[in-house]
Amino acid sequence: MNLLSDKFALITGASRGLGREIALAYATEGARGLVLVARTIEPLQRLKSDIARIAPEMQVTVIQADLGLPADVERVAAITLEACGGRLDVLINNASILGPVPMPYLLDYPGDDFQQVLQVNLTAPFLLIQTLMGAMVDRGGSIINVTSDAGRTGYPGWGAYGISKFGLEGLSQTWASELAETEVRVNWVDPGSMNTAMHRDAEPDEDPTTWADPADVTEIFVFLASDTSAHIRGQRFEAQSDWRQQLAAADVSAETGAPWATKI
Amino acid sequence: MSASARKTDEVENWVQHPRVAGVDSHSFYLPPELNADRPPERRGLVRDQVRLLVLNRKTGATEHSRFDRLGDFLRPKDLLVFNSSRTLPAALIASGPQFDVEVRLAERLPDGSWMALLTGTQKENRIVPELLLDFGLDLTATVISQDARIPAFWRLRFSKSGTDFLDRLYRLGEPIRYRYLSSPWSLSYYQNVYGHRPGGSEMPSAGRAFSWRLLFELRRKGVDTASVTLHAGLSSYLDDGLDRQHIASEEEYWISEATAKKIRRARKSGGRLIAIGTTVVRALESMAQQGDIRAQHAYTRLRITAGYRLQLSDGLLTGLHEPEASHLDLLAAFVPSVTIQRAYAEAIEQHYLWHEFGDVNLIM
Repeated sequence: MNLLSDKFALITGASRGLGREIALAYATEGARGLVLVARTIEPLQRLKSDIARIAPEMQVTVIQADLGLPADVERVAAITLEACGGRLDVLINNASILGPVPMPYLLDYPGDDFQQVLQVNLTAPFLLIQTLMGAMVDRGGSIINVTSDAGRTGYPGWGAYGISKFGLEGLSQTWASELAETEVRVNWVDPGSMNTAMHRDAEPDEDPTTWADPADVTEIFVFLASDTSAHIRGQRFEAQSDWRQQLAAADVSAETGAPWATKI
Repeated sequence: MSASARKTDEVENWVQHPRVAGVDSHSFYLPPELNADRPPERRGLVRDQVRLLVLNRKTGATEHSRFDRLGDFLRPKDLLVFNSSRTLPAALIASGPQFDVEVRLAERLPDGSWMALLTGTQKENRIVPELLLDFGLDLTATVISQDARIPAFWRLRFSKSGTDFLDRLYRLGEPIRYRYLSSPWSLSYYQNVYGHRPGGSEMPSAGRAFSWRLLFELRRKGVDTASVTLHAGLSSYLDDGLDRQHIASEEEYWISEATAKKIRRARKSGGRLIAIGTTVVRALESMAQQGDIRAQHAYTRLRITAGYRLQLSDGLLTGLHEPEASHLDLLAAFVPSVTIQRAYAEAIEQHYLWHEFGDVNLIM
């Protein structure tokens, strides 16, 4: 509890699936304020009510936005800065869209849809990080980009989504490298297969019960947002693999006092 | 005049102290081709590759350089003080059954109302108290009162506040733009990379040339940075006569304890304080007038002109200001007016570019 006290966090794609679960986890961990962004406002309002039951004192701001539009990114940034008093501690670039469903082969992919997927999944994270850097660089901050194994392997039919995640992996590496001399750290997480509406849309013939509940993969997102991970930067994690082992390899020992460290 | 806490009953008289016409005027001819009509990035430059005119305060000597070489003129322990203000899309169109009017937001007042310039129509006389302006998306504003000195200046109260107001403003508004621009550049071009406090009607443009690459380079060199916030109002009332009067306004500013601490440290260690923009000079000198370098949130009517003894600002990075601009009065506190005139003549001869997307001038 309270691993995130005094932290202001912005989470995109927060209305459902992993984004919603990260928001609830951050509320449980005592974040000071959350800014939640999604394409539709009603699920965000419901999430805000749910958070109020967990953390009645928490400041929660919800924003309806289409992150495929650069003007909406600027609006999200401005509202975030206003809501958080000009500072931001944690930025979770979680929002992504799948593109056309059923997912066509690249050979058949409509160009407009391709552009739209790249705008939301790749350009928006770039613009959000760029626009909000001034609010993070003085005090330090944690940026977590949500990637996918489709960002490392070119699966047939995963078209623009997979390519956008390839781009996001590169974006994350480059940001991490350029920000190496600052207190702003960038890490990226592949949450693995989850039972979410988007994944069910992507693979309607698969059995979703074999996939993880998104509520069960949030721990790494809490860890990377907390000060306990202050020395972790520029790394890719897989939420459903033994990422604690990866931390151990990165010379993180139980002396950090973090609950996950003691599990190593 | 010193910085002071603002009282609510002063709201109606927020514009005071008109400049005495004819004193210290800064007239010169600026060839139209020297108006920067587009951002450097749209002229084939990186934002930090604009030209840098360095003016030596002691000798009056000039040196011509490029902004990404700023580090050549700075020393370890120098402190650059930025204005963290982020530019709003402060121009809105209100539609009514009778007429449309452009609303240019100028300043948010302590009670949450706004002072705004109402333009774009010959029907100013239709603007009356209690008129409801409709901007769409459920955003309206009620006209409250007219400014005593500037006829097109009105106090408005919007139907939304806080983040709800910002949400509507960003959906509906456009950045304030002037006629010399070649294109309606989007809001992102009107931001400094480090800006993180939304609220400015216009960009504090002296800092526009800074890139993160340059900021990191300066940090490696041992140059420190800090920020204050002072949201710039309108640079023009779209009325040459009024603009020439240099009507002084009261402005709100914030200085954090972290910044105050850095300023104290720089002064103790012999580092120079370089204000990035005239707004920063006003905030710093207003703080100095309080007699103590400490965190503060206050309002200032401080007027800095020739003969003003600067207490904190050792140097100034600023844009190139157009003829008769009030900023030129402030520059005269750093160097004699005749030195500015000579430097500007040189800048014109060497085809420097003016305005928010133009070249910059370091005075130290």
